[in-house]
Amino acid sequence: MIVLTALGLCLAAYLTYVHYSGTPPLCSTTHNTCLKVQTSQYALLAGVPVALIGLLGYIAILGSLLAPDGERVRFVTTALILGGFGFSLYLTYRELFTLHEVCEECVTSAVIMAVLACLSVWRFLQAEENLSVGAISLPARQSVQQ
Amino acid sequence: MSSSVEGDEGDLTRKQRREQARTERKALEQAHAARAARRTRLTQLGIVVAVVVVAIVVVLIATGGGKGKPPAVGSKTANATVTEVSTLIGGIPQSGNTLGDPNAPLTLKYFGDLECPICKAFTLQILPTLIPKYVRTGKLKIEYHSLETATREPETFKTQQIAAYAAGKQNKAWYFIETFYHEQGEEDSGYVNESYLQGIAQQVPGLDLATWTSDRSDPALSSEIASDAQAANNEGFTGTPSFQLGKTGATLPKFEPGTYSEAAPYEAAIEKLLQS
Repeated sequence: MIVLTALGLCLAAYLTYVHYSGTPPLCSTTHNTCLKVQTSQYALLAGVPVALIGLLGYIAILGSLLAPDGERVRFVTTALILGGFGFSLYLTYRELFTLHEVCEECVTSAVIMAVLACLSVWRFLQAEENLSVGAISLPARQSVQQ
Repeated sequence: MSSSVEGDEGDLTRKQRREQARTERKALEQAHAARAARRTRLTQLGIVVAVVVVAIVVVLIATGGGKGKPPAVGSKTANATVTEVSTLIGGIPQSGNTLGDPNAPLTLKYFGDLECPICKAFTLQILPTLIPKYVRTGKLKIEYHSLETATREPETFKTQQIAAYAAGKQNKAWYFIETFYHEQGEEDSGYVNESYLQGIAQQVPGLDLATWTSDRSDPALSSEIASDAQAANNEGFTGTPSFQLGKTGATLPKFEPGTYSEAAPYEAAIEKLLQS
């Protein structure tokens, strides 16, 4: 989960850089659909670039994964990831049904969020009974890093 | 003797039974606790999912927007746009798609797409600072050029950009461009059609609509859109807005301000060129 989150964080950091620098994003399509998506009105939410929102989200998720394991921490991680997954669903909907263009970096991030959502829900429901609030549990810690 | 052995065995069995019962009770309690914990976790997950779903619905509604029809000519909104645009650029010389004194020492080439929301942000947030300070004072002229990015249909792109350039044949292109950006519709909603363009043209003060309509079929304007695309390609521009800024008459280098909401980098670059 940490590796996936770090990957998502790198993607979001790159897209945030692209947004603020004005450079075109890397894209395999000939007419740079990524650019069209990222210069669209949906690239901003209440004036804030969605790439920046994603970057902050990934930083928060990574922080919670690196925090001492415990029931409450796992809940926070799961809530953050589900929030991020919901946001990815919204953005993917806008790409497919409003803009009719797909941004490869955005889709990759959405896939990462979907996998993270599955893993975090499974991990949260499988939490060991002796995992008390804020307590450190070695087996649980190992499952985080798997 | 045999009865004593039977007694021991009976005691042992009772102990074993008590132990067994205790173990079973403990296992049962643990199972109950595990079920209760799982129920609690499922409830917590359910609450999180519900909150996320509500948030998505709110964001979808908030970002849905309207279809982007231009306000009716003569309406309060349209009048406000006309007043705002006239205050900004009224009295500044225009020639074709150029705003400002033709002999201004500096030139800014602005590559835009009329449907591009970032261009709208630049036009509405940066130009109101640059135009009074540098264009109205004769230090800078701004050339508008076309580069298709946000507009999905190439034909629509050509039609709308030519409509702006046709207003330029009456030296009113910048009224058209400014009005279009002020009243830009929801992206990719197909709002740009003939009545939309007529609506924008009707808000351009003093534009002869009959001449504008006939000028739109001038093949020179179509060629101008094509040469803009070629120029943008030569510079390696793939996004809008893109800029070139430099001394008038010299080769204009690329200008990458890094922001479309803060005027400071634009002002700094212009000041530097004016002092050099």
